[in-house]
Amino acid sequence: MAKPSSASSSSSSTTKDAQDLLRALWSAYSATPSNLKIIDLYVAFAVFSALLQVVYMALVGTFPFNSFLSGVLSCVGTAVLAVCLRIQVNKENKEFKDLAPERAFADFVLCNVVLHLVIMNFLG
Amino acid sequence: MAKLIIFLFLTLIPILCNSFTPDKPSDRRILVLLDDFAIKSSHSLYFKSLQSRGFDLDFKLADDPKIALQRYGQYLYDALVLFSPTIERFGGSIDAAAILAFVDSGHDLIVAAGSNASDLIREIATECGVDFDEDYGAVVVDHAGYAVSATEGDHTLIASDDFIKSDVILGSKKIEAPVLFQGIAHSLNPSNSLVLKVLSASPTAFSANPKSKLTSPPSLLGSSISLVSVIQARNNARILISGSLSMFSNRFFNSGVQKAGSPTKHDKSGNEQFLTEVSKWVFHERGHLKAVNVQHHKVGETNEPSIYRINDDLEYSVEIYEWSGTTWEPYVADDVQVQFYMMSPYVLKTLSNDNKGRYFTSFKVPDVYGVFQFKVEYDRLGYTSLSLAKQIPVRPFKHNEYERFIPAAYPYYGAAFSMMAGFFVFSAVHLYNK
Repeated sequence: MAKPSSASSSSSSTTKDAQDLLRALWSAYSATPSNLKIIDLYVAFAVFSALLQVVYMALVGTFPFNSFLSGVLSCVGTAVLAVCLRIQVNKENKEFKDLAPERAFADFVLCNVVLHLVIMNFLG
Repeated sequence: MAKLIIFLFLTLIPILCNSFTPDKPSDRRILVLLDDFAIKSSHSLYFKSLQSRGFDLDFKLADDPKIALQRYGQYLYDALVLFSPTIERFGGSIDAAAILAFVDSGHDLIVAAGSNASDLIREIATECGVDFDEDYGAVVVDHAGYAVSATEGDHTLIASDDFIKSDVILGSKKIEAPVLFQGIAHSLNPSNSLVLKVLSASPTAFSANPKSKLTSPPSLLGSSISLVSVIQARNNARILISGSLSMFSNRFFNSGVQKAGSPTKHDKSGNEQFLTEVSKWVFHERGHLKAVNVQHHKVGETNEPSIYRINDDLEYSVEIYEWSGTTWEPYVADDVQVQFYMMSPYVLKTLSNDNKGRYFTSFKVPDVYGVFQFKVEYDRLGYTSLSLAKQIPVRPFKHNEYERFIPAAYPYYGAAFSMMAGFFVFSAVHLYNK
């Protein structure tokens, strides 16, 4: 009698733990400031776009390989630059306490301009 | 005066050099080696048929010490006929090696053996790819296919009508009467692709000595016995080997024939027609092809480029002629093929012809770059083999020969531009966010 109940209680406890974990993560994430959430949304858009292109290449083949690389690199580069912006703009980050957010944004814009110049050249 | 003599001499030289050349492949001068001059008269019908077609026959005894095939490195004759089955050693400078060198240099040969064939003749035949029966006393005997005669014979005179099916070798007119044969059997190695059985024995024939009792089954039996064979060497020299000298004789040419077991009695045997037609083939009056004037160019142009690009359209043409004995006639066939070959044929097309000897086709260069060859390999029964190869490189697209916007890459173009748009939208939102 004791065994089955402990088994069922342990399985239900693992699922309950998972649900508790997710809920804790979600509530912690909701506490982040909205500008960081906007950056996160932008990063997610870029990564999703990169994944779409990889799936398309797997279906169709690598034929203009330079165009494929250019498209994927534009998405990945955009994501990376957005992540850098997020790191520098995040007020909880002690390392960049003294960096003005305008300076961070100016770096972001400059790097994106260079990135897109390279992408346009490589796109063919 | 001196100038006149020189002028006459120079104009007469082309006429004096009227001999075998690649432009006129028929033979002209034939050396005929005989055991004795009685053969010259007993086989006169055959020799007359050759002479009426324009050949110069030079009759010599086989052991004449003055005979020679070549002098100072030049061959004196264009073809050789050996009607000397009993000769043990040739006179003069001729021997088996000299005869084989003669054939290797592209000249034709006719060898007739008989029941008394010597070792030398057998050796020459073996070198050409034909093996006579090793039993010296054996002749071809056929108790069911013999030639019916007034006297009761030992069935060594046989009537055979098992011809090779080839209009090139035997002529277009069907040989109605069987061919009389009395002589020895030979067999061909089945792995030899150059020899052909022109006249085979019937399935009831065998090779044995008619005077002695058979102790073991004969080694040569049935249709594997060849009575008359031809060989076309890779240099297109043609050799005819017959196991019987008497089949060339006037007696056999003129006699009637009735094959045992068949009700029809023919007034004239098929020997004369058969041997005349086969001799025409052996001396290159039929079935000798040449291919000239290979041309290839891009569709719409006329000059021959030195390099093609992948996915180009090109046209290929070649002219093939057949020697008719006096002139080059256009060769008409529908099975000549060209390959576009690099390690393996990427394109194989049958050439269409315009009935005047010009064969042509057009195709698209495959999507592979490298060094290709236009190969025409034509090897048909009874015809000389044609082997043409012309090398041509094929290059890939230059970087500016692609389409400007590749449709397969539209998603990538879209992704890159959407990233740029996203960047603008995001920076606007980020700047004006409270």
